[in-house]
Amino acid sequence: MKNTNFSAEHLKWRKKRKIRLIVVQSLRVGLLLFFLLFWELSTRLGWADPFLVSSPSRIAATIGSLYAEGTLFYHIGVTLLETAIGFLAAVALGYAIALLLWWSDMLRRILEPYIVVLNALPKIAMGPLIIIWCGTGSKAIVFMTILVGIIVVIMHMLSAFLETDANKLLLLRSMGASKLQILTKLVIPSSRAAFISMLKVAVGMSWIGSIMGEYIVSRAGLGYLIVYGGQVFKLDLVMTATVILCALAAGMYFLVVLLEKILVKNTKN
Amino acid sequence: MKEKILKFENVKLIYHTVRGETVATENLSFSVEEGEFVAMIGPSGCGKSTLLSLAAGLLAPSEGSVERRGSVGYMLQRDELFPWRTIEKNIQLPLEIEKKLTPEAKKEARELAEKYGLKDFLGSYPSELSGGMRQRAALIRTLAMRPDILLLDEPFSALDYQTRLNVTQDVAGIIRREKKTALLITHDISEAISLADRVIVLTDRPARVAHTHTLDFEETDPLKRRENRQFSAWFELLWKELNV
Repeated sequence: MKNTNFSAEHLKWRKKRKIRLIVVQSLRVGLLLFFLLFWELSTRLGWADPFLVSSPSRIAATIGSLYAEGTLFYHIGVTLLETAIGFLAAVALGYAIALLLWWSDMLRRILEPYIVVLNALPKIAMGPLIIIWCGTGSKAIVFMTILVGIIVVIMHMLSAFLETDANKLLLLRSMGASKLQILTKLVIPSSRAAFISMLKVAVGMSWIGSIMGEYIVSRAGLGYLIVYGGQVFKLDLVMTATVILCALAAGMYFLVVLLEKILVKNTKN
Repeated sequence: MKEKILKFENVKLIYHTVRGETVATENLSFSVEEGEFVAMIGPSGCGKSTLLSLAAGLLAPSEGSVERRGSVGYMLQRDELFPWRTIEKNIQLPLEIEKKLTPEAKKEARELAEKYGLKDFLGSYPSELSGGMRQRAALIRTLAMRPDILLLDEPFSALDYQTRLNVTQDVAGIIRREKKTALLITHDISEAISLADRVIVLTDRPARVAHTHTLDFEETDPLKRRENRQFSAWFELLWKELNV
C-alpha cells in the first residue's frame, strides 16, 4: 500500500509541512527562553524589583538551597501524594456514583438538585468544617481534593452514560440483554472517550483541591511553601513553589495523555 | 397450513407523554408464517418502528395480544456495529448476551461469516469496512443468534442508492438461502415489492391493516423483480393505497 515514489509536488508539500513544524516547535521553546531572559534581565537592570518579582536565577538558587536542606523532595512528595490519592479516590468514587445514578433512574431524579447545588458550592467554604472533621494533617487535604474533584467526575461520566446510543441500546435489548450486560458491553466501552476527557479535567481539579487544602491546613507541601513564603515575604520561595507546581501539573497531564494513547491504540475507535 | 411464527390479534398500543396520550395502533391483526417474507408499508409517522418493538416483545400491548414463537433477530437502519469490537467479536455479541459462547457456537458463527464473504474482515474493525460490508456483517450478527424471525427496520435506508440496491440484493439472497422468516418494515414501496412474498399496507395512525397482497412473482431475486412487468403495476396499486 505504501508508496514511497512521490511526485515533486508531494515532496514540496512534505517539505513545507516539515518546515512549519520546526518553526512552531522552535518558537514554542523560544518564547519560554525569551520570557526567562527578559525576566532575568529586567531584575538585573533594575526595571523590576527582584524582591517583588523574583528572577530565574533566584528561583534556581532557592531550589538549590531547598535541595541542600533536604526538604525539596519532601515538599514535592507530600503534595504529589496528596494530589494523587485525592485524584484517584475522586475518580474511583465519582465513577462508581455515576454508575449508580445511571442504574437507578429514580435515584438520579431524587439526587439531581443536590448534585447541582454541590457543584455550585465553592468547596473552600467547607474549609473550617474539614479542619474540624479531619484534623490538620494530610487527611484534610486529601478530603478537600476529593471534594473538589468528585462532582465533576460524577457529572461528566453520568452525562456520558446517559448519551449512550439509543439504537444500540434497542439492539441489545432485542437480544435479551440484562441491565448488567448493557452496562458492561455497551455503556462502559462507549463512554471511554468521555472517561479520558474526564481524567484531564479531574487532574486539574485535583491540583486545585490539594493546593487549596494546603492553604487552609498544612505543615508541608508546595501549597504550604507558597503560603509560608507569602507570610514571611520570601517571594523567591513563592515563585519557586509555583514553578515546581507548573512542572508537576504538566507532568500529570501528560501521563493522562499517555494513557489515552495506550487506550486508543487498543481500541482503534 | 404452515405454523405461525408471529401473530398480532386486535393489538392496541397507547403512548403516554406528559402532554397526553397517543393511540399508535388499534385493532391491528396480522400474522407471519414460517418461511415467509412479509413487508409492511405505511404512511410516514404511522408508528412502524413501534410495531417492531411490539413484535420483539420490547413493548407490551395495551390491549390484544402478540404471540411469538421462538426468538427474534432485530436489524436496524444503521448497522450499529460496536466500533471498539472487531467484526468477529461483533458477530459473537448476541451469543455472549445469551451466554452461549461455546467453542462450537463460535465456530458456527465464524463459518457463517466465511460463507458470506467476511472471512478477510473478521479481524478488522467496523470503521475499516464499506457501508455495504458493514450491513452484511450486521446481518450475519443477527443470523448468528439463530433467530426464528428476523425483524428488519428499514435496514437499507441509511445507504446511498447504488449501495442500497446491492445490499438489498445481498441481504435478500442470504435470508432466502438460510430460509429465514422475516418481517420488513419500510416506507419504500419498491423495496417492499422487490423483497417480499406478501405486502401489508397500514393505515395512518392509529395503524391498522388496510390491505394485504400476496405478490405472485415467480422469482425472489430483487433485481429481477424490478425488471418484471408486474413490478410497476404493483407499485401503482400500492402507491394509490398509501395515498388515500
